[in-house]
Amino acid sequence: MGRVITYIDAITEALDQEMARDERVFLIGEDIGLYGGVFKATKGLQKKYGEYRVIDSPISENLIVGSGVGAALAGMRPVPEIQFADFVSPAMDQIIQQAAKIRYRTGGAWSVPLVVRICCGGDVGGGLYHSQMNEAWFVHCPGLKVVMPSNPYDAKGLLLAAIRDPDPVLYFEHKRLYRSLKAEVPEGDYTVPIGPAEVKKTGKDMTIAAYALMLVWAMEAAEKLEKEGISCEVIDMKTLLPIDKQTILESVKKTGKALLLQEAPKTAGVMAEISAIITEEVFDYLDAPVMRLAGLDVPPIPFAPPYEKFYLPTVDRILKKARQLKAY
Amino acid sequence: METQSEFGLSPKEKKELYYLLLKCRMFDERFRKLFRAGRFAGTYFSAVGQEATSVVPTYKLLPQDFIGPAHRELGCNIVRSPLKVIAAQIYARANSPDKGLSHPCHYGYKPSNIITPASTVAGQTVLAVGVALAYKIRKEPYVALAFVGEGGTAMGPWYEAINFAAVHKLPIVFIVQNNLWGESVPARLVGAFEDFSHRADGVGMPGVSIDGNNVLEVWQTAASAISCARRGEGPTLIEMKTYRWYGHSEIDPADYRPKEEVEYWKKRDPIAAYEKYLMDNKKLTLEDKKKFEEQIDKEIDEAVEYAEAADYGPAEWVLGDVYADFKAGAPDRP
Repeated sequence: MGRVITYIDAITEALDQEMARDERVFLIGEDIGLYGGVFKATKGLQKKYGEYRVIDSPISENLIVGSGVGAALAGMRPVPEIQFADFVSPAMDQIIQQAAKIRYRTGGAWSVPLVVRICCGGDVGGGLYHSQMNEAWFVHCPGLKVVMPSNPYDAKGLLLAAIRDPDPVLYFEHKRLYRSLKAEVPEGDYTVPIGPAEVKKTGKDMTIAAYALMLVWAMEAAEKLEKEGISCEVIDMKTLLPIDKQTILESVKKTGKALLLQEAPKTAGVMAEISAIITEEVFDYLDAPVMRLAGLDVPPIPFAPPYEKFYLPTVDRILKKARQLKAY
Repeated sequence: METQSEFGLSPKEKKELYYLLLKCRMFDERFRKLFRAGRFAGTYFSAVGQEATSVVPTYKLLPQDFIGPAHRELGCNIVRSPLKVIAAQIYARANSPDKGLSHPCHYGYKPSNIITPASTVAGQTVLAVGVALAYKIRKEPYVALAFVGEGGTAMGPWYEAINFAAVHKLPIVFIVQNNLWGESVPARLVGAFEDFSHRADGVGMPGVSIDGNNVLEVWQTAASAISCARRGEGPTLIEMKTYRWYGHSEIDPADYRPKEEVEYWKKRDPIAAYEKYLMDNKKLTLEDKKKFEEQIDKEIDEAVEYAEAADYGPAEWVLGDVYADFKAGAPDRP
């Protein structure tokens, strides 16, 4: 057995190794230097690489991302950090009108090799402004790539792939997974390709598609369901834009049923798109309606602990929904 | 004959600067006519009246210096890009640098190190700060110019940009072209002062307000701010007071402005004033001017011909240039 590290250590290691390998890589964000990040994802890096490779920015999210876009145009490989996904809204103009459109609006002359790290997700008692899952905002913006790892191995490999990608990548890291997950992670250099989804568990009764925390809970639920005689195939989407249709469609053709999990509010989320793709493309293979289990359509996520539990698509809720789908 | 340089410009350079200003004016007036004649789609954004604010600071930049334009920086392109490329961009034909994907007058050209602008104003000032940051990190002696109208200085991102540039003494110069109107909103509703250079006060950056229609004043101020930035001494904000002679775009009659105001500013034409200075000082003759006009007319003819001779790009280009490594999904619609 190889070395086992946490999800957040995998992120720190990827940043460290890539900064050592490529001097064009620099980090900019709030509290990332002296303090090492509010979750310590950038711990020790400013001391090692200096204050112009790990830049403590003012509270200026538009500038954090926009200066990254500009520096990328000038040949750097910037990795700006958005401390909480909720705080990405002031940077929307730079992400959507600049990063996503620059290759297109210059006829391919300029590119924006930028990675915006965005710390997201609930089940940490973060409340209304420190828990949001807003990935769907960006999945609606061609020109961006959106990835979201669910384990330490992918956390490192996807981050390295993202930094080396010629286009802007939004790298969502789920704060609930930072220290709750440990896994074997190679010490050396490797990448996990942006694009392909991965079948994490094979099964025959239904396909469960998820990412990040929901994937972890899906695996937990699938294990329990297996004991009840319900066999689930679990797919980790990992990359949300571009969507790997093939892996999902192949699986649904085999199982005939799909349960789609999403932590964000249900309406117009990523899984609405996956559902549409399934019904458009493999309708004849379906033995039941596509089912979604998602967050509630409220401005997420309410603070008081029982409210948060009520909001989240917990393992118990996944079990119930899966049984319902199996019985259909 | 003057041999020493005055204002840091040799007699030859002064003449060249006049030539570029004249070229900007003539190109602009020609394209207004071409638009009204229905020769290209969309609209046209004229910069007539405020040429000095973009032509002059761009003159004598290094090729590695970066320009983050707003959307009326024809002048930067006149100085750095071939006319053919500028014309093709306006016509949105297959030979445009953006392949016709962007929007008329959103000029950009990579060999000139001018980024094609987004229409969300002030956005490029943030990009220019990023470029300047890259120069600082790499310890390179290059600078970025960031253009914005007085209207754009009311945006939050603009403050984030100037604040960060000041904190880190980045090699950048912010040029605020105060032409008194942000589309149809007067400057008095945008800032609670006459001089928009006050925007710099709160971030600890030097700010200066100048007559943007005085070519030599613009030159001296911009050249000094640029060399200051290049030496690592930090950014400057220069407000250049100027005027947009015509509407926001050619479909805007600009009837919200008092006639007297327009007349007043037309009498303060930056190019006519500079021409008078040169002629009074025997640095330019009527013959020179005539020769320049003929030369420019010919070059514009060729540029228009080049643009009009090209077709629009093929429809499949719509799906290209979304990502480097794969094509956007082909439409599955009939």
